[in-house]
Amino acid sequence: MPAAPAPRSSSPSGFRVPLVVAFAFLAPALGLLFLFRVVPIAIALFGSLTGTKLTGETVFVGLANFRALVEDPSFWRSLEVTLVFNLVVNPLQIVCALALALLVRRPTRFVPAFRTAYIAPMTVSIALTSVLWAILLEPTAGPVNGLLRALGFAPQPFFRSEDQALASLVLLASWKGVGYWMLFLLAGLLRIPEELHEAAAIDGAGPLARFFRITLPLLRRPLGFVFVADTTANFLLFAPVYVITHGGPNGATSLLMFEAYQAAFTYLDQGRSLAISVLVLAILAATVTLQLRLFRERG
Amino acid sequence: MRRLTRRTGLSLGLAAAAGAALGRIADARTTTLRVVWMGWPDEQVVPLMDSFRKARPDIELAVEQIPFVQIFQTLEVRLGARTADPDIFICDSPLTASYAVRGHLLDLTPHIDAARFTKAAIDAASWQGKIYSAPFGSSMPVLFYNKALFREAGITPPEPDVTKRWTWEQLVEVAKKLTDPDKNRWGFSFEQQERPYMLLPLGQSLGGVALSPDGLKATGYVDGPAFVEAYSFMQKLYTEWKVSPPGLFDPNLPVEQFGNGRIAMLVAGTFNEATIRNKYPQIEFGVAPYPTFAAGKPVTPTGAWHIGVNPRTRHKDEALAFIDHFMSEELQILWFKLRPYPPVLRSVWEKEAATFATDMWRIVRYELDHTAVPRPATPGFREYEDILRVALRDITTGADVKATLTAAAQKIDRELQKYR
Repeated sequence: MPAAPAPRSSSPSGFRVPLVVAFAFLAPALGLLFLFRVVPIAIALFGSLTGTKLTGETVFVGLANFRALVEDPSFWRSLEVTLVFNLVVNPLQIVCALALALLVRRPTRFVPAFRTAYIAPMTVSIALTSVLWAILLEPTAGPVNGLLRALGFAPQPFFRSEDQALASLVLLASWKGVGYWMLFLLAGLLRIPEELHEAAAIDGAGPLARFFRITLPLLRRPLGFVFVADTTANFLLFAPVYVITHGGPNGATSLLMFEAYQAAFTYLDQGRSLAISVLVLAILAATVTLQLRLFRERG
Repeated sequence: MRRLTRRTGLSLGLAAAAGAALGRIADARTTTLRVVWMGWPDEQVVPLMDSFRKARPDIELAVEQIPFVQIFQTLEVRLGARTADPDIFICDSPLTASYAVRGHLLDLTPHIDAARFTKAAIDAASWQGKIYSAPFGSSMPVLFYNKALFREAGITPPEPDVTKRWTWEQLVEVAKKLTDPDKNRWGFSFEQQERPYMLLPLGQSLGGVALSPDGLKATGYVDGPAFVEAYSFMQKLYTEWKVSPPGLFDPNLPVEQFGNGRIAMLVAGTFNEATIRNKYPQIEFGVAPYPTFAAGKPVTPTGAWHIGVNPRTRHKDEALAFIDHFMSEELQILWFKLRPYPPVLRSVWEKEAATFATDMWRIVRYELDHTAVPRPATPGFREYEDILRVALRDITTGADVKATLTAAAQKIDRELQKYR
């Protein structure tokens, strides 16, 4: 069998790799990516345009699922909650992660212990984290309220109050996430050559100036990654809502992913569930595109 | 010698191969029924399953016990896939219509002799004139109280007499006296703090109707004045009088707290009697009827677990044999002894007359005949129950009662639309 003339690509070093070979190496990864990412998205897109009859048959309903969502106040409430949550939790987590990374940058005597402590929550699954925080913040007998009482403060309702539930969720997500994101930023910090700081210091730049003129610009790449990955993780947050609040009190924690779950497993409405998932995907895609644009390297 | 060994080895190998082949043939003859069951304690499940295994050694059972807080979601996922799995599943009686409408239940009408069962059980098992689930137990909550705590406080406890039934107003006054925040002791709790099952009778007692007669409209029913009044009262247990421990939504928790002497009065299902007696033998407790409002009439909840067969099962005969065994008098008596739900077989009430001569069972019999109201019959009970459950949960935490119920009713109406 005559070999097909393969198109060739050249690399700067002059080493030439036939595209077919490159593709062959990438194929397993691309195949899995296609199977586990593209196919489910396609199924969701198609499914969001269908409804399921009581007897299980699927029927095409056009945009009816989306129309129903637009007319539903509980969807708007959930969208609002999701956006507020993400507008707070993402910047907060990144600022905290960066602050921690700066604190533990130089390995002085106790720093390894602190580094370990900060990344320890990574090892606890999100479901277990939820159970743990549900106990910690339990209003009547929880240890946090016990501590507050001992210090002379009034006990707080936390997850059981409409005003505090979302903030408690932010706290839980940050406890779990900050250490993890810190790791990437710490790696980025360690890659910044020390000479740059020294040179700037000799030129008379103070610590603040060095942070804004040297550290931050050189952290652009890891920061960009952390922004995108953190936003994705938080948009898809589900377990704490399922374990602790069930979307309540009064819808205060009804993140869109939980709404999607409820639509599928409580309301038995696959179409509605997939329509919510598609909207989450669209919002996420828009947000991530914007973030990537902001963090794009100049030049 | 060497050859002999080799020959022996060879014949041993042959024998092993033959054995394996025979074993496989035997395996092919054994049917395995996949059973999704409630996550009751092993000692309340294993004896039942073993009894069937003994009766039918040719049928193997693969039993999964799913915790109460996950059982309905699990069943939705499994049945929603519309495969032959599971063959048999535990079915909450008010969900019979919901499953039947969606084709998740085999019609058991030819298989069940309705005359053997109480009328309430057959009603709960039926949808549009056919029997879709096999009645396995009924239910009735009573008021359990801790005798020692009443003695200590010098308060006369409620009597096990339906004619001297306490009112909720009366109960709250006593609960206030029995509550002691310093000792972490509470006057009263519901076993199910958020479940419509246990809480619908509050509104029904004041004349409320939980759902429209056609089972498809909640607005104007569950958000009507009776339910608003009843649930405002319920809310005050947590927020104003502070006699009930808030947030114990897992039904095991209030029972545990009652068993530890931290809750003085507990409205809970009869099946808890065995649990309390066995797990907390130090607690001396009495029983009284489910309370009512002073201005209302006594109403109690009922209905419980049934058994359903997946119509897509590939082992229909074996599955029906399972149903037959579980509907037998012998097994239902065993079940009653393991977990005392009010029996659904008439003959069990007769045969176990000595058992039913206690205060608790006298109350239960009266309630089942006179005050029990089943949960609303609707194919959308799954949605109805869950939306209302979240609303009740919010109300216990202080949400505006009228607004919460109205929002829930609208949500229920939206979801019931599909059954019209």
